[in-house]
Formats: sequence, C-alpha cells, structure tokens
Amino acid sequence: MTVAAAIPPEGPSAAASSDQAAVLARYDELGELLAGMDDRPAADPELWGPASAALLHEARLLDAGRFEDWLGGWTDDAVLWVPLSTPAHPGSDQSLLLDDRRRLAERVEWRRDPSAWGQQPPSNTTRIVGSVEAWPAPRGLVTRSTLLIDEHRHGRQQQLTAFQIHELVGDDLRRRTKILVVPALGTGVRNPSFLL
Amino acid sequence: MTAIDFEQLVQPHRVHRRLYTDPEIFGLEMTQVFAASWCYVGHESEIPEPGDYRTTTLGLRPVLMTRGRDGGINVLLNRCAHRGTVVAGEERGCAKRFVCPYHGWTYSPDGSLVAIPFPADHPAKDYSTLSLGRLATANYRGFVFATLNADPEPLECWLGEAQEALDTIIDRHPGGQIAVMGSPQLLEFAGNWKLSWDNAADGLHATFAHHSYNTLGETVEVETVLARDPGSTPMLSKALRNGHMVVDQRPGIPQGPWATMRDVPFREPLESTLAEAGATELLDLATGSMLNLSLFPNLIFVGNQLLVVEPVAVDRTRLQLWLTSAPGAPPEIDLLRLRVDEDFVNFGTPDDLDMFERVQRGLSIPEMEWIDMSRGLPDDSTADGTVYGPITSEAPQRRYLAHYAELMTTPAKTRAL
Ligand code: FES
Ligand SMILES: [Fe+2]
Repeated sequence: MTVAAAIPPEGPSAAASSDQAAVLARYDELGELLAGMDDRPAADPELWGPASAALLHEARLLDAGRFEDWLGGWTDDAVLWVPLSTPAHPGSDQSLLLDDRRRLAERVEWRRDPSAWGQQPPSNTTRIVGSVEAWPAPRGLVTRSTLLIDEHRHGRQQQLTAFQIHELVGDDLRRRTKILVVPALGTGVRNPSFLL
Repeated sequence: MTAIDFEQLVQPHRVHRRLYTDPEIFGLEMTQVFAASWCYVGHESEIPEPGDYRTTTLGLRPVLMTRGRDGGINVLLNRCAHRGTVVAGEERGCAKRFVCPYHGWTYSPDGSLVAIPFPADHPAKDYSTLSLGRLATANYRGFVFATLNADPEPLECWLGEAQEALDTIIDRHPGGQIAVMGSPQLLEFAGNWKLSWDNAADGLHATFAHHSYNTLGETVEVETVLARDPGSTPMLSKALRNGHMVVDQRPGIPQGPWATMRDVPFREPLESTLAEAGATELLDLATGSMLNLSLFPNLIFVGNQLLVVEPVAVDRTRLQLWLTSAPGAPPEIDLLRLRVDEDFVNFGTPDDLDMFERVQRGLSIPEMEWIDMSRGLPDDSTADGTVYGPITSEAPQRRYLAHYAELMTTPAKTRAL
C-alpha cells in the first residue's frame, strides 16, 4: 500500500490535502524510481555521452568542494534522497536523509560553517563514477551509475561503494532527483556527513 | 593477573583514561555490564507475527528476538547447541522454525530443539537440554529487555524512578501506542561506547559542539539563554539509580517543542493539513518529548529515536538509531517524524561523532591520565537516590560511572537458561 492510500479521505480540506497529496506523490515517485531500476531495459547509447558529462561534472564539483556551484545545478523542486536499504519508500522507511531545495541550501551553508565539527576539517573525497546508463524521461533523462567514494579525514581513510540514480531535466540537464544508495549504510558507516 | 582497582579508576570527581582504552576492561564489561545487567533488545512492534524475528548483539553475543507460536516474546542466544553456528543469519525475517545451516538441527521460535536429522545414531533422547540458550526476558509496555544474569532483579526495580519518564514518553502517543520502524540508521565511531554515555545527559556540550546546528538556517545570530549560560535555564538533569539519567528540557520550552522546529523538508503542506483538521496541538508529537531518558547501559531516547549503543571493540562503537512512530496519530505525524529526526542526525550528530573520536585520540596519551567530571559537586541525593541539578551538572556522568564501577566489581554470575 502506498502512503497516499493510507491517508483517510475525511478530515483535511481539499486545498490542504492536495498540498499533502503532492508530497506523497513525490515520495511515491522516488520509491518507484528506485524500485523499478533493476527492471529497466538496456540503456539508450545516444544518451550516454550527455549523461556521463553531467555525472562527471557533478562528481568533480563535489570533490573540489564547489558546493555553491553544485547547488546551482538543482531545480527548485529538487530532492536528494539517501535511503538506508532497498527497497525503500521515503514516506514509510527511515532514510539517512531526504532533502528538498531548502535543506540542500542549508547543507551547503553547513559545509561552510567553521564550527560544523562533523566536516571541520572537511573530508577529502575522490569519486569514481562508472557503469553509466541513461534512458529518456518525460522531462529529460534518467540515469543509473555506480560510484566509488574514497574519503580521507583526520588521517583516516574510508571507501564506500554506491549506486546513484539521477533524474536530469531540461536542456541543461539540471538535477531534479538524485537517489544515492550506499549498501554500507545497512551495516554502519563512520560519520557519513560527506555524502551528497 | 592483578585485579583492576575500580575504586582507583572511578573517583568521585574524576575517572581514569584506562576505562576507555584498556581492552581487558572492555572484555570484562561485556559480561559484567552487558550480560549481567538488563539491556534493551528491541520493541515488540518489530516482530508482530508468530515466527517474526530480529537479530542483534548484547555484549558482543549474537542474540535473537523472536515471537513464539503462542505470541510470547523470546530472547535467545543465536548459537546452535551442536557445534556453535549462528543459526539465524539475516537481520530480520519470519521463520516457522530455525534450521541450522550446518547440520540441520531444527529449533522452534521459542528456542527448543525439535529435530536432529538422522536421529538414530545420536544418543540424545531428551532434547530439552539442547535448546538455544535463553535469556531472562521482560516486556515493559512493548519494550523488550533481557539479561543473562542468573539472578536478575525484577525489571521494575531496575527501572526504578526511570519508569515514570518511560511512561511519559509512551503515554504522549495517542492510545499509548508507540511502534518502531524497520531499518535503523547505523553510525559507527572510533571510540569507546561510554563516550556516547558521557554525552547522553551532557547539557553543556550543545552550546559548543552543536553551535553550528543552533545557528543553521538563521540569518542573524540570536543570543539565547542557552548560549549565555545553559546552567541558568530552568531545564533539569536527574541522575537516577542504576545509572539511568534524565534531561528534562520541557521547563525551558514553555511554547512547546514544535515551536522550536526548523524548516524541515515538506513541513508546510503536512502542517497545513493538520491545521485544516484542527489538530495543530498534535504537532508536538512530530518532535521528541524533550525528555531525554537514558537507560543504562544501552538505550537512549533522543528526539523520536531510540539510540541503542552497541559496543564493538574498546575503541569502536556502533549506534543504532531506530525511529519510533505513533500509530494512533494522524499519518502526517509519522510523515513529519521522518524528516524531523533525520535533521539532527545530519547536522548535529556528526558533531558528537567527531567529539567522540577526538576524545578517544586524546585519551591515547598515557601521561595525561584523568578525565575531570567535577562540575556541580557536591551531589545532594534525595531519599530515592536521585540527584537533581541544572543541565550543566556532571552528576549524571558521575552517577552512572559509580554504578558502572559497582557492576564491574560485583561478582556476576551469568548463564543461559
Ligand atoms: S552446528 Fe548447527 S547443526 Fe551442526
Ligand atoms: Fe550532542
């Protein structure tokens, strides 16, 4: 059962419930994007080039600490979602994080705060993006790629593997949705606040 | 081997670094504290149906919480009576019976051995001595605790004055219904498990370590009373018997907890839905109780999460953060809880994790032996043994460590039932 179906029809006014329905629809969209990924057909080779360029650019911005530039590449209705396991639904399962545009902006602000001890000194990261696949989507394209993140901080190293799903929209392929799936979150990660 | 002198290591105003760095002490703790004391294992809502189970560890021991065919809850040692194999390998699941993957010994969810394959040449006639090891188990309003202590005190005695705070946390949920959601956030840190315990009732650190969280999203820095002197707020700390601790923030936030809430994602539409339904007073349920309760040694209530402290090694700890839900409340409450509780985990908890690792590194210095814990002395305890103080008092730390020292020096008899 989706969360939308769990909301009783009585109670909230039409206006309010349509607000809420929009939230639930977005959550369902995220859950379905994740759940349907393994069943997708072979990717469209035409889209591989633009998709790869966008993903590699994002990885470079993050590794370089260019967070403001990275933030600028998101749409206003952006969602960054890091679930704890798969399958998962943002409205019924705990996540590591699910940010809208507002909290993404705060996350960037937080990375710049000299007293945000979880990232002061900041993690030094290197991302290796691989296995890029892309498919056409109503507003742009959807990609799946794998990721190796090497993190150094306080003289210690941690390496995480992940896969990521992006929904990139418009001619400039802005990020509208990003789902980052890190299997190690299911067993325990040290201070994951470098994950974006 | 010379006995470790805990009276020397745990003094009224200071404790020795060795408590945090000595593998021998860590080894003792796994039995003296984590096996001999009541520990939180899980919540009954995680295993609603007969055969449902979840695995965890208690003092490094692999443990299995199951729902039996009779609906009763069992806490078992996840260890085959034959050669010792861990029987249930998944974190959770539903099983009519547990079949050991090594040679097929088969157990029912209550732990009793029901079958040995090819029994003809096995001499055992009475299977009752070959069950999975069983822990003494107590279910307090859905919260399941267990111990290997051979002669445990009743759970209510162990809870003592903490029971009232636990009731308050449960009863704020409509119908007294509280449940635990499926997957926990799992965070590790390179430090001793007691560092999280020193932190749980530490009302002073928020002003410094969490400065960035206190100002996140604010355009102007407001000088709050918490920033001037957290000890002068009406918030209260209580050091209870048996190492339990309470920080009661409620007197410091008369406007109610929701009024302090940051702009978490999708807050407005969910909030307005509740407002239209005339249920804004329920919004406080989307935040924590503001009553931080810690049940020594492994359960800390923070926000709407249950923080379970899982020691891994003397310098390694895993925190399990389980989100609770309010099944008796409108669904907006749980939808908000998801975004509310990840807020502090993302922007506050990293501070704590960093402090824990910094402390552990600092404590590696042999020439600097002591950790000062004297703020707020002398402790005046009331008749029931509770010490009250401002939230900056280090009485909770002193008192839990005194209880800890008592556990470490009391000969503990542990056994599986
Ligand atoms: S070890 Fe379990 S059946 Fe042999
Ligand atoms: Fe903290």
